[in-house]
Amino acid sequence: MLFKNNEPAGLISNIQKYTIHDGPGIRTEIFFKGCNMRCLWCSNPETIDPSPQLGIYPAKCLSLAKCGYCVKICPLVGHSPLVHDKDGTISSIRQSAECKNCLKCADVCPGRAIKLWGELMALSELMAIIEEDRSFYERTGGGVTLSGGEVMLQWEFAAILLAKCKEASINTCVETALNCPAAHMEAVYEHTDLVITDIKHMDAKKHLQITGAGNELILKNIKRTVDLGKNLVIRTPVVIGHNADDTSIRAIGKFIRDELSGRIIQYQLLPYRKMGTEKYDSLCLQYPMSDYVPPEREIWEPEIKRLAAMLESEYGLPAVAGSGQKLPT
Amino acid sequence: MTTTKTTTTSDTPLAIEPIDREWGVGISGLTENPSPFPRINKMLQRNKNTDTTADAARALIITECFEKYAMHPRHTLWALALREVLERVPINIWPDELIVGELAAPPNSAPIYPEFSIDWLCDELVNLPLDSRRNDRYVIDEKTKNDILSIQGKWKGKTLSEATLATYTEEEKKGSHLGAAVLLEDLYIYAGIGHVTANYEKLFKIGFGGIRREIEERSSMLDIAHPDGLKKHQFYDAELIMLDGVSAYIARYGRLAAEMANAEPDATRRAELLRVSGNCLHVAEGAPRDFWEAIQLWHIATNMIIIETNGHSVSYGRFDKLFYPYYKNDIATSALTREFMQELIEHSFIKIHELRKIRDKNAIVFSSGTIMGGTALDVGGVDEDGNDITNDLSYMVLDAHAHTRIPNPWMGVRLHKNTPLEFKTKVFNVIRIGTGEPKIFNDEPMIQSLTNYGRNLSDARNYIGVGCVEPSVPGKTYGWHDSGSVNLTKIMQLSINGGKCIGCSASCKQYAACVGAGQTLGPDTGSLQSFHSFDEVMESYDKQMKYWCDALITLINKNDLTHQRLKPLPYLSLIIEGCIEKGIDISAGGATYNGSGPQAVGIGTTADALSVIKKLVFDDKTVTGAELLEALSADWEGHEPLYALVNSDRMHHYGNDDDYADDIARFVMATYCKHIEHRPTAHGGEFTPGVYSVTNNVMHGSVVTATPDGRKSGEPVSDCIGPAHTSCCSHDRRGPTAVAKSVAKLDHARIGNGIILNWKFAPSAVSGESGRDSLIGLMDTYFEDNGMQSQFSIIGRETMLAAQQNPEKYKDLVVRIAGYSAYFVELSPELQSDLIGRTELSFD
Repeated sequence: MLFKNNEPAGLISNIQKYTIHDGPGIRTEIFFKGCNMRCLWCSNPETIDPSPQLGIYPAKCLSLAKCGYCVKICPLVGHSPLVHDKDGTISSIRQSAECKNCLKCADVCPGRAIKLWGELMALSELMAIIEEDRSFYERTGGGVTLSGGEVMLQWEFAAILLAKCKEASINTCVETALNCPAAHMEAVYEHTDLVITDIKHMDAKKHLQITGAGNELILKNIKRTVDLGKNLVIRTPVVIGHNADDTSIRAIGKFIRDELSGRIIQYQLLPYRKMGTEKYDSLCLQYPMSDYVPPEREIWEPEIKRLAAMLESEYGLPAVAGSGQKLPT
Repeated sequence: MTTTKTTTTSDTPLAIEPIDREWGVGISGLTENPSPFPRINKMLQRNKNTDTTADAARALIITECFEKYAMHPRHTLWALALREVLERVPINIWPDELIVGELAAPPNSAPIYPEFSIDWLCDELVNLPLDSRRNDRYVIDEKTKNDILSIQGKWKGKTLSEATLATYTEEEKKGSHLGAAVLLEDLYIYAGIGHVTANYEKLFKIGFGGIRREIEERSSMLDIAHPDGLKKHQFYDAELIMLDGVSAYIARYGRLAAEMANAEPDATRRAELLRVSGNCLHVAEGAPRDFWEAIQLWHIATNMIIIETNGHSVSYGRFDKLFYPYYKNDIATSALTREFMQELIEHSFIKIHELRKIRDKNAIVFSSGTIMGGTALDVGGVDEDGNDITNDLSYMVLDAHAHTRIPNPWMGVRLHKNTPLEFKTKVFNVIRIGTGEPKIFNDEPMIQSLTNYGRNLSDARNYIGVGCVEPSVPGKTYGWHDSGSVNLTKIMQLSINGGKCIGCSASCKQYAACVGAGQTLGPDTGSLQSFHSFDEVMESYDKQMKYWCDALITLINKNDLTHQRLKPLPYLSLIIEGCIEKGIDISAGGATYNGSGPQAVGIGTTADALSVIKKLVFDDKTVTGAELLEALSADWEGHEPLYALVNSDRMHHYGNDDDYADDIARFVMATYCKHIEHRPTAHGGEFTPGVYSVTNNVMHGSVVTATPDGRKSGEPVSDCIGPAHTSCCSHDRRGPTAVAKSVAKLDHARIGNGIILNWKFAPSAVSGESGRDSLIGLMDTYFEDNGMQSQFSIIGRETMLAAQQNPEKYKDLVVRIAGYSAYFVELSPELQSDLIGRTELSFD
């Protein structure tokens, strides 16, 4: 586990207040950095790498002529990995063995053209931010949602943070892929009111292909979650070309009915809408689905609704389209 | 139009809608035939196909009477003149109408008010034809144009505007609307005050006939041998002249309807016309006996206020409270059906939408698309005893908006801790349509802000938000709401630069009177070159603010005295409590409650600017005051890193639930309030500060050069009470909960003239059940925290961009602006850009 000022700490990529679709009510969502899967459609690529990272936003760069603070502060004088194009605008960061990731360039960049993804945050710092919106949680039955990245990769800290929230009477939710040892999961569950997880595909080989990981451990953990009596929401990001067909979706429905006895709160089918393109660009990463052209809302919306209705009628599941419908209490 | 079909499908509208009916998210007016009533859809269509124009009839009669009755006391003169207008002006009843009455001009046609000002209009008619305007376009025929031009000479030197400006000193002109526009005090120089709600309760109870009897009785008891008795006697005589005109006007419609019925071949329409005739002939003197008669009297009585006063923001009261006794009785006796009353409400909305007020070429750049302006109508809230009043009509009024999707009336919903959840569900489903209607008020701080200015508790509980949002006791108040506005950001600039504008140069039209005369625009209260601490900055700001608030109050009072002298209002004096009782005209302080409410503009920008100064110059010492001034003089050219820094999240900006900046915002607001609140006005009562800009933030920003918060020269300042955004970025970065908390930290009880908080949500952020309920939860929490008001724009940014590209396709796109909603494509480009630039809260 990580520490900051002798306090347990987590590597956090982002904190989003007023999230309303990941658990009940108004929530503060905390994104943990680091992930052990590589889903082709990932829209939060900044949460994959388990260390702080620099993102580049050339549109915000003032140019070397007008600013140049980043190059001036870089300890690698004359061979800085910061690459600027002809007109002096930052364009990328070169892979460099010499770069010690000191992050000073991000620190001085006045316009945040160099943005730091990932900050080590102590328990007390996070609790202070979480507490700011307490009155909103109390009004709406909201609380905190831990998400990522993969929360379970920082399971010890997650468990401590959630315990602290429960101590403060704040509702807790964890969004996880469950690709982790059961012991980690169970430690986190001790202080978790609601679990949100995904089933991306029932076929293990296909799952490996599209997420970089098999699904055996995940499915086992999901079963264990139900056995433990946890409140569980299962989601499927519906991605055309990978799982947007009746057979794939029916297989998931069958698993939930037969293996989990349908004991989940809600099953959500989420349309994949290709977001986060600018984040891939900022990290100088290739979007695995860069060629994908998402269909118009007029096309996908009824299709997702049809799939939800299909699961509801054929498998008796509480299936819904999207994450906008209230969770049954 | 991808964003127009966001979530729920909109099925056929129903005469009686289910409470939880959803109409979709962010679809605004982009829907065919929104009403279940064919008559309403037909009227909506007709309205859209009618050009906006002006009508000279009122102006011609007034001009003639002004000469004819010149020997009379002013009050009597105006009673005689208005009586003649009401007796002589052409009237019409239009196809399908069940409620009749016009503005002394046909629908979509603006009457002309030469007694206030006429030169600007004649100038535009000749040099800048009003049909060539890009927005707020008027198609005026040759005859009307010539009629208006023909009377211009007769008003030379006699108008209210000339009389007011004659009282200005050269020093006062420097910062006024005629000069550097630190202050905008001109709204009631060129037009009337408006901003009132008639005492409909009394009118409904006793009718105009009852008011006549009351006046006759009071008049008969006077000792006219005593000069005080004589003055009152003359006042009452004029009021009786006025009443003759009022009753005659309403009865004219009654007779016209009867004539039209006689000639009507269709039996159904004939019966309708006969009923309309009966309604008018009865309410010409009598008290209304059912819902239909009441809505007829309500409409025509309000029109006459506008015909008389040339004021906007003439408001319609608390509809559900006012009409419920009639509704209940008509249902109980089966006199009228609920469906028919729903149709009448929708009909009355279109009648209000047909009203027009013509504004000058400068006003329509920054305040475009207002149509009439300020046609406030509220529902919900508590009664005089603090009990919830929500009833069937509260729901029906909201459905009526969903069924018409027009930006009139300007709807307000009063919420409080006992508002039923069902009603809130209805309110927020209507809000999610995306027209920007209705806005919501929080009863507790609104009531507090009224009791703080001497309104008694039960009156305060009966408040309505007049015009945009101004707290006002209906039927009892002459509040001069919106009497001026103060450019806080400009004043901040003067306070850090020795009383001079940053970038002061000979190209400024005030240069000769100002620096050229060896003076400065404001007093020299210090400069960033020499301040030693942030306390000195605050002290300078405070002194500078006092100077300008004193100046504003003086100018508004000069304006007020001129209105008293030249433009008494005999009709309005009939229907606002206090005037008949005291025997004093409303303009001279007759009303039970009086006041005057100027606005602070740019609180967010000013707070951010001071916060940047505190942090960079005094806390961190990153730059010196002189360096910062230099960057501002250069409009940030050559100081790009500093510009980026002050716009970045490294600064403390208002709207992020950050006490560092929010405490400064509290200081900025308190400093303004301190120099305005409780000071006496010329017609009685106290000055009441307000914190909203409507669209003046664009105007005020246009005259302010670069400021330390990261604004460039000429950019709008922050709108209303909300956080700032510059052309670089939005300064609120932590989402809606942080904005709500920051705003709620301001001391709302002192804000006697109201606030506006604009929210802009992407449709996806409020869609679905959880989107709706979270929005309700957000507002409940903000209100629990003593937040005062909120209003919502739920139109996607891309929809607005598409509407700019394709205005023809988006003609019915109604959007929320500030105090009001309007058709997006009818707005000036400046205002369209400001709307698109506001922070959109999106959570994908």
